Amino acid sequence: MYSWRKLREKLFTGLVIALSLLAIAPVLHLIATVFVNGLTVIAEAGLGFFTGLPPTPLSRELGGIAPSIAGTLIMTALSLPSTVLLGLFAAILTTEFPKNPLSVAIDAVAKSLASIPTIAVSMIVYTLVVIPMRGFSALAGAIALTIIALPYAYTYFSTALRSVPSIYREAAFAVAMSRWSTVTRVFIPIARRSAVVGVLMTMARVMGETAALLFTAGRFRASVALSPTAPADSIPLLIFDYILSPYTIWHRVAWGATALLLIAYMAVFIATKLVVKEVKL
Amino acid sequence: MSNVSVYIKSRQILSRVTLKIPYNTVFVIMGPSGSGKTTLLRVINRLIDLVEGARIEGSVKVLGFDALNSDPYELRKHIGTVFQVPNPFPHLTIYENVAIAAKINGVAKSRKELNDVVKWALEKAMLWDEVRNRLHDHPHQLSGGQRQRLCLARALAMKPRLLLLDEPTANIDPVNARKLEEAIVSLKDEITVVMVTHSPHQAARVADYVAVLYDGSVVEHGPAQQLFLRPSTEVAQKLLRGEM
Repeated sequence: MYSWRKLREKLFTGLVIALSLLAIAPVLHLIATVFVNGLTVIAEAGLGFFTGLPPTPLSRELGGIAPSIAGTLIMTALSLPSTVLLGLFAAILTTEFPKNPLSVAIDAVAKSLASIPTIAVSMIVYTLVVIPMRGFSALAGAIALTIIALPYAYTYFSTALRSVPSIYREAAFAVAMSRWSTVTRVFIPIARRSAVVGVLMTMARVMGETAALLFTAGRFRASVALSPTAPADSIPLLIFDYILSPYTIWHRVAWGATALLLIAYMAVFIATKLVVKEVKL
Repeated sequence: MSNVSVYIKSRQILSRVTLKIPYNTVFVIMGPSGSGKTTLLRVINRLIDLVEGARIEGSVKVLGFDALNSDPYELRKHIGTVFQVPNPFPHLTIYENVAIAAKINGVAKSRKELNDVVKWALEKAMLWDEVRNRLHDHPHQLSGGQRQRLCLARALAMKPRLLLLDEPTANIDPVNARKLEEAIVSLKDEITVVMVTHSPHQAARVADYVAVLYDGSVVEHGPAQQLFLRPSTEVAQKLLRGEM
């Protein structure tokens, strides 16, 4: 009787492990494929992959993706702070004053924004920013990225703030903290892990977006442009363009760029996991 | 407080409660579950404001403040509160948990003053000896009873004139409960204490005055000795016999 129970438990545990492995196998395969194909390219190109210009279609040299790296960094730097700040303030407002008409409106707008196709956002920004500025730019790309990432940032932050048990709100109010102090000195620090994950997920959304940049950034790969008002490129745009092309050398560069993007994400996520500790309740 | 009624949406929680709490005493509020004890405390410190749909009638004078018409943050600077469930701030250390209350309320101006207030509050809460060498630990490293005494220390660090305790020993072991009771009794020379409890034995040990609340109304109140020896209402008699 006893051994049958133990055997059943072991069988069930084995089944759960096997099913879990089956579920993550495609993801692991995907990551392994990107690493094998991408790291080979990066190793072959060397430092030039990060500093050089993309190859011409018939080139024998791999070249690099410096304009795309610079463009991604510039647009992320322009978009992320405003996205995070706006998302955080909106989340604070809607969690602290859920019945306020402004909160209700913000919540509705955020939900609507999340469902707008990113290509449509790209066209809207093209009409409202690119045409008046008479050209593509990193700034236009960053505006499109902000519009797209904002509802995600808002959702992550409001979920993080709502996850803090209400007993801490009472405790904060009981020591005469104001509502603002309660949020900044108690709620955000308690939910810091979730809040930082929110920032990272927003960053991932910003760095990984393609369609929003199609009519805004400009796909400029001829040199490294550092001005926000100059046309720019991004790594996802380069991957999109190169992987659809008929040239083998561009396919290889796209694999290298994909691996680089994946490594950047993983590095940031792992570093955050190590640095930002969960608050034990 | 005079003729205080509290409604949450359409439900009446307190009905025409009139009470006078003498300074520097331990005033115990007893009553069965759902009688409105916690709501009564929340009216005093205006935490009732956090309850959606709450409406208060009547007048409440607290330490010279017209509590219902004053700035709640200003009012709370003079009132310490300890809740039923220990709720020290989990992201702060033991030291910081106590210091934050002193800092916010301007009790300590310098680092030395802050250290002194933290030590004083932890001593008053009878926790200093247990944590003096681990002030930089976090609350999750303490026992439930120690966490509750940390909450008492946090409340005391505000140097309040009134201390509200909402069944502070309900979730802790008898040894810690005893320490907390001793701390409460020792405080009454400096602070007025209003405590909610279920336990008649605990009330008998600490109370100077007792009010019995039933179904949102005060059915009996007076000096503890008198109420414990000669309870005049059936509710109070049942409550003291532990039948309610």
